[in-house]
Amino acid sequence: MVKGIIMEVVLEIKELNKVFKNGRGIRDINLNICKGDVFGLLGANGAGKTTTMKVMTGLMKPDSGDVKIFGHSITTHHEKAMKNVGCIIEMSESYPYLTAFENLKQISRYYDYIDNIRINEVLEMVGIYKYRNEKTKNFSFGMKQRLGIASAILSNPKLVILDEPLNGLDVEGMVAIRNLIRKLSDEEGTTFFISSHLINDVELTCNRVGVIFNGKIINEDYTANILRDYATLENYFISEVDSNGRA
Amino acid sequence: MEELKGASINEIERLFKKKKAYVAAIISILSIIIGQLVVIGFRLGTGSRAADRAEFPLLVLSIYINTILPLFTALVTIDMFTGEFSQNTIKIALLRPISRLKLYFSKIIAITFFVFINLFLVMALSTLAGMFFNPGTMSIKELLRILLAYTVSMLPILTITLILVFIANLFKNGVVAFLVSTILYIAMKAFEIYNNSYKIIFITSTLGWYSHWTGSEIPIDSLVREFLVMFACSLMAFSAGFYLFDKKEL
Repeated sequence: MVKGIIMEVVLEIKELNKVFKNGRGIRDINLNICKGDVFGLLGANGAGKTTTMKVMTGLMKPDSGDVKIFGHSITTHHEKAMKNVGCIIEMSESYPYLTAFENLKQISRYYDYIDNIRINEVLEMVGIYKYRNEKTKNFSFGMKQRLGIASAILSNPKLVILDEPLNGLDVEGMVAIRNLIRKLSDEEGTTFFISSHLINDVELTCNRVGVIFNGKIINEDYTANILRDYATLENYFISEVDSNGRA
Repeated sequence: MEELKGASINEIERLFKKKKAYVAAIISILSIIIGQLVVIGFRLGTGSRAADRAEFPLLVLSIYINTILPLFTALVTIDMFTGEFSQNTIKIALLRPISRLKLYFSKIIAITFFVFINLFLVMALSTLAGMFFNPGTMSIKELLRILLAYTVSMLPILTITLILVFIANLFKNGVVAFLVSTILYIAMKAFEIYNNSYKIIFITSTLGWYSHWTGSEIPIDSLVREFLVMFACSLMAFSAGFYLFDKKEL
């Protein structure tokens, strides 16, 4: 709830636990992401960002707790929960023996409303249209990342989950993707859940931030509120991690 | 069902975009050519007919279904399951609005399609080779007998496929899965030959199921017995394979 307005909850994470044999993992994650939020999950390497996202999207099963996307549990109603979701988890994957266009065509078959025009449109949006007929085995890491973003937004999803989306992109690519996220959020009301260890990018892109440390969400707030008390998001992050590290 | 249809088309498209499908087709054609050359050589050397027009496609089937087809089916199946998990490309489909059961089923549909295309390509080519290069006659009745033999052969090879799917989901490494499948297959074939009276307990013995259909008399009891063995094995392998597929985490 913000300023007395009831916000539509798009993503609801309740008491989520997933602990691996080595003792690492995530514990008691509770989060509500509302429509239109561009939520940034900040954390150091190994803090639990990717595990959280994998459980959120059904790639892993939780030990306990649940994730509801648009009111549907990811564990029991995966198909309905993922209907309006686009994502990149861990790394952007593609079939190396298919072209960029064929890769997106494969994804389009899971939906009955995506045509070739839309495929070309998203290839244009992420700046790889001219490579559409090249096999992705010849793509650089940055181009694969762009293709991954294209596949995440192909179905016009209402919720986009991106794990380290700016990894491997050059400065021009980073700016372009940041602008694309802002555009989709502003013009189409798309909700974003982005994980990153690049604090500056989160500050520039996200309107809400959560900090994950040792598998637990230690704090979350609106970026504007944080920047009222701290000069930069980096100061806030260091302060939160320090106080929790000492505790 | 739209998701299942889309996923099945995707699996089939990917299967035929890979070199394995072409290699399978080339080896199938080569096996027919070699088989035909052996038959001609035997005929010229001994003066015996070796195989006449109608027998040649069945001779090819007996060799093909016990050797090349299981080999390529294993390669394709392991690549589709173990390979996609080890390369992480399975994530592309798992992150889409499709249940794991539908995805699992779509992969089996694609492998079935691959087996179907392979069997009928071999049937068409061996029938043509039989007509042009071998003596004897080929009536409509004999053509139908060949068609029946190749069609009923789908069932045992699909049972083997489902067992391969189960094995593919047991392992994280494709090479290990392929080695285990190959060793198991060779061991079963060897036991089958060593102890012929108990061969029904080895599922590989059902690969000769078509021969019950092509004889002068159809042995109903053997047909039903083998059908039930295949059906039971298929159900168990499908369920166990899906259990493992559903439990897998990335």
